[in-house]
Amino acid sequence: MKDYRFIGKSTPRKDALDIVTGRTKFINDLTIPNMLYGKVLRSPLPHALIKSIDTTEAMRLQGVKAVLTYKDVPDWKAGFPHHVRILDSKVRYVGEGVALVAAETEDIAEEALRLIKVEYEPLPAVYDVEESIKPDAPQLYDQFPGNVFPQDNVVFGPHTLNEVVIGDIEKGFEEADFIVEGTYAYENIPNPLPPESPGVIALWEGTDNLTVWLASQGPQIFKAAFQRRMGNINLQSLGNPVGGSYGSKYMSWQYALPAVALSKATGKPVKFCYGKAEHLAAFTLRLGSRIHGKVGMKKDGTVTALSGDWLVNSGSFSEATQGMVAVGCGEAQLMLRCKNWSFIPKMVCTNRTASGQVRGFGGQELKCALTPILTMGMEKADVDPVDFFKKNYVKAGDGFYWRDGDWWVCRGIDYSNAINQGAETFGWKEKWKGWLKPTSVNGAKYRGVGVGVHGNADAGEDVSEVYVRLEPNGSAIIHCGIAEHGTGQRSSICKMVAEVLQLPLDRVYVTPTDSLVNPIEIGPVGSRGTYAIGGAVIAAAEDAKRQLFELMAPKFKVKPEDLETEDGMVYVKGKPDKRIPWIKEMQYYGSIMGHGRFESDFSIPNFMMIFTEVEVDTETGKVDLIRVVGTTDVGQVIDPLSLTNQLNGCLGSAGIDSAIFEETVLDTRLGRIMNCNMIDYKWRTFSELPEMEHSILETPFPTHRFHAIGVGEITPSPGPSAVLMAVSNAIGVRIHDYPLTPDKVLSALGKIGSPMRRE
Amino acid sequence: MKLFAHVNAYSVDETIKLLAKYEGTAKLNAGGTDLLGVLKNRILPNYPEVIINIKSIPGLNTIEEDEEGINIGTLTTLADIIASPVIEKNYSLLKEAAGTVASPQIRNIATIGGNLCQDTRCWYYRYPDEVGGMIKCFRKGGKTCPAVSGENQYHAIMGAKKCFAVCPSDTAIALIALGATLTIAGAEGTRTLPVEEFYTPLGSVLNSGEMIAAIYIPKPSSVAGQRFLKFTLRKPIDFAIVSVASIITHDQGVCFDARIVLGAVAPTPVRALKAEEFLKGKELSEEIAAEAAGLAMAEAKPLSKNAYKLEIAKTLVKRLVMGLT
Amino acid sequence: MTLTLEKSSHSTLTLTVNGEKHSFMLGEGPHEVASSHTLAHTLRERLGLTGTKISCDNGACGCCTVLINGKAVQSCMLLTVECEEKEITTIEGLGDPVTNVIDPLQQSFIDHTAFQCGFCTPGIIMSAKALLNENPSPTRDEVKEALSGNFCRCISHYHVLDAVMAAAKKGGNQ
Repeated sequence: MKDYRFIGKSTPRKDALDIVTGRTKFINDLTIPNMLYGKVLRSPLPHALIKSIDTTEAMRLQGVKAVLTYKDVPDWKAGFPHHVRILDSKVRYVGEGVALVAAETEDIAEEALRLIKVEYEPLPAVYDVEESIKPDAPQLYDQFPGNVFPQDNVVFGPHTLNEVVIGDIEKGFEEADFIVEGTYAYENIPNPLPPESPGVIALWEGTDNLTVWLASQGPQIFKAAFQRRMGNINLQSLGNPVGGSYGSKYMSWQYALPAVALSKATGKPVKFCYGKAEHLAAFTLRLGSRIHGKVGMKKDGTVTALSGDWLVNSGSFSEATQGMVAVGCGEAQLMLRCKNWSFIPKMVCTNRTASGQVRGFGGQELKCALTPILTMGMEKADVDPVDFFKKNYVKAGDGFYWRDGDWWVCRGIDYSNAINQGAETFGWKEKWKGWLKPTSVNGAKYRGVGVGVHGNADAGEDVSEVYVRLEPNGSAIIHCGIAEHGTGQRSSICKMVAEVLQLPLDRVYVTPTDSLVNPIEIGPVGSRGTYAIGGAVIAAAEDAKRQLFELMAPKFKVKPEDLETEDGMVYVKGKPDKRIPWIKEMQYYGSIMGHGRFESDFSIPNFMMIFTEVEVDTETGKVDLIRVVGTTDVGQVIDPLSLTNQLNGCLGSAGIDSAIFEETVLDTRLGRIMNCNMIDYKWRTFSELPEMEHSILETPFPTHRFHAIGVGEITPSPGPSAVLMAVSNAIGVRIHDYPLTPDKVLSALGKIGSPMRRE
Repeated sequence: MKLFAHVNAYSVDETIKLLAKYEGTAKLNAGGTDLLGVLKNRILPNYPEVIINIKSIPGLNTIEEDEEGINIGTLTTLADIIASPVIEKNYSLLKEAAGTVASPQIRNIATIGGNLCQDTRCWYYRYPDEVGGMIKCFRKGGKTCPAVSGENQYHAIMGAKKCFAVCPSDTAIALIALGATLTIAGAEGTRTLPVEEFYTPLGSVLNSGEMIAAIYIPKPSSVAGQRFLKFTLRKPIDFAIVSVASIITHDQGVCFDARIVLGAVAPTPVRALKAEEFLKGKELSEEIAAEAAGLAMAEAKPLSKNAYKLEIAKTLVKRLVMGLT
Repeated sequence: MTLTLEKSSHSTLTLTVNGEKHSFMLGEGPHEVASSHTLAHTLRERLGLTGTKISCDNGACGCCTVLINGKAVQSCMLLTVECEEKEITTIEGLGDPVTNVIDPLQQSFIDHTAFQCGFCTPGIIMSAKALLNENPSPTRDEVKEALSGNFCRCISHYHVLDAVMAAAKKGGNQ
């Protein structure tokens, strides 16, 4: 393996000092002169028409600058297809906005909300995905009859993948030694719950100038999506450090648009930050996912056919559900080398706060419901799940439909080595005792193991465009619109540029996340930071270096390709003694601008496998996570500590723990989310950390300058189904109702009756 | 947070006078970790007009032991209780219970008096006003308890009639097991009351003009085994799904005295009197423990989603009696 | 009813934050401190000490942790008017104010990349600081216990534990 100067070495994050001293300015830490505060009056009813709204008294309250209702807000529409207004005459979930207030202080805005009088005409509500598609179900949108979102849309182009139909499904089932069938679901709609609630400051000036400061994982996406919809205005979007997102703060319109409308109405900057109760009860959650599936299998674990209906509960609107379904469909094929498919999704709206993008992006939701069906087959064939996943995970030369609807052929590496090493690290052979058999028993405590797999082909998704500017003083500035949301990617791209140009790391900078300064950047999503963004960054640095050498070559009387650079000096290869600083030729007024662009390439899937060991107290039903081992192959580590951070992230952001205790509890009589506080919404604490270990392989990927591929986004997704498997094995009973809280475990053990199922 | 008037009190007498003056429109702040949440989320039909800070009263945060027992000032923080060598030595049950409350930061400001008087955690009762309005349940003068046919996984499995919220205090059940009494100050002077008689289905016997001034715990027999078990999904932060406190005295395996108290299973802490009676004179074994657990929970009638709490409660009682964890 | 302030009805309030005294008028104006303001709010909105973060605003997440007389507390659960005559330390108060050298604990967080998004980091550092003040050589389990009220959703816990243990070890050697 090549010994790099920075790549693969642990280097401090560029933003580390600001973070540990509290100087990092997150969105709610910013104040702008004359700034107003926005608040939203939220619906008490899950489904209702607004008969009347009286804002007179609220307007009269001193300090109130604007009160907007559905009658006053601009008619900008969001979602796919465009169907979500900032405020509407109809509310579709408890917590939906009914009116907006801008006032001089938050307290005044809050009091103003209480003075708004609203009369509703209640409508019946529906929460269950199958109830919602029945003919007599309450209808949420006139334009979506049957409560089904259309699939023909432009999320990922005109052919966006909307099903997996391959081969001859009948023939596939005929070839099977046996068929298993069942309905499994992942419908606990956990909340990714970043610590920083969604927030924005918007300033509308004059007729057509808008500046937004966004806590967003993809601040430029807001501009790309809304600039034209707002009348081709001048829209500057500024990204702030993001206090966690996990996908949820990518499509930022749900919180940005109310602030923009209020600023447009008042002509003043308006800050609008969700409170935590709003974040938990009225912001986006994971998708609900239910699969009626059927799998044909050979005795050796070969899958001959997979058919299924995938019912996707998107809640009250579609933020990007079609996109998540497309990627989920693609990811199903990556985990399963099956020749015959008939897998048909249906995207359904219901009367609860919407599902949006979350780390795992459709794939986790799909896996969590699909894997239990596959494990029925594995159990019947008595196949070790590690062997099953190894045999079935996509290999070079295998083809698959990806999200764009195109057929892609895998050019990646074989992950079997990673699987073998992960199994070794975990001690799988010793701990695996067979299906529904515990690893060990100690009194009432039963231990079991389980494993899950996930990967996507999005590490090379979408366009990134970057400039790298060389300064005469021997420094480089990366013009890249990437936001820092915790992965350290802004630092990692500095390492890449420092490596290409052999500059000290402290001589490489990234421009602020400002759409006026930077070309288009889709953002650090889908594990694309290393491969796609990194690809554009590296190309720009190489381009700058080429121009530098062209400039300097005459001085050395050699060809440009004979030159090297290090620490802001140029020399002839093999003759490092004679060095000329960049400034000698660039002059103090010169600069060099390198350009790099990355275009989508879905042929290199990444990979993540998670092994879990759990302990179940069979007398209380409590599940404890004892040990987690993650295994992956990243080609080349960019920053070891950032990588382990991302891999450890498998527990959080509605990942593994969504199988253990994380859930959003919806009262389906009231339509309210009951656990909308951080005591009743469960998250993992420092006190109960499982042992965590990772086996990280570095098999070079030839298609990347540093042979690397990203894995950050996918780390939680194999976890929940692995926990189901582990608990089932521990207690000797198949159990599948996420999360595995004590009531469900005791019920599976026959110690109590079945708790009434949530509708 | 909506504005209120704020008053510092400097003595118990002054507090009582202030409470009388504000005629039920004031709330005491003995730590604030529960109160501030109640105020921020605007869950009460009547927002208090005055907050009386009693942390400003000197001398109410002491722990004094004599030969008969121990007197704990109402403003003693949970952290101080946990750190007290006296409590660790003779009243370990209270230390254990206090140690399971919330988090270190909360225990640094939450007080024992506040912990006893905290409001229920029922998520219907606590539903925040900012997301569609607070819920007017039975406890707030509404007609019904929405938990009965709703999301009742954390609610009462016994002893509830109109409101199925449970008493969340961990220290309460420890104090009841220890036979502690409260000194309650009011307009008519002070009264003492066993902690066991403090709670009512909708709160406590404390009227709006009173405050807890001190807690007295008689010294338990040095051979009595004190145990506390709390079942939660997570060790820190969480309120009990079921908690159990016990003092069991036995000689060579034969029990001759037992006090067992359950928390979070009913609107008030529950003494398991039948189980206590049953255990006396019995040689402790797994069967006996299981039988005692059954008796402890004999009155239980779980709701649609909380039968598991009954199983857990029985397990916890059994494990307490057996000395298991 | 007219609201009147009793004995405490002094119209000013003095806070001692990071060794400096700050006086405020009591009231609802833009530069005043109201009786209903939490310490977290005052630190952020009146003193500009935005290193103290508010996440849950309900005492459950620890993002707003500051030290009061050396003990870790959640500043969202304290009324500012009840914090007079107390020594308040925020994340901005760590390190050497003269040399500007950061606290060894902060340096250890940098060295171990003991954060991801960094939003919870100031609160975590303050909880750890309170622990090390009382117990300079904690066990790993004691660190876990001391941080048990601090939320971190990115799961930087493991690196945080490494960072605190390393800082404690260094401190012990000095």
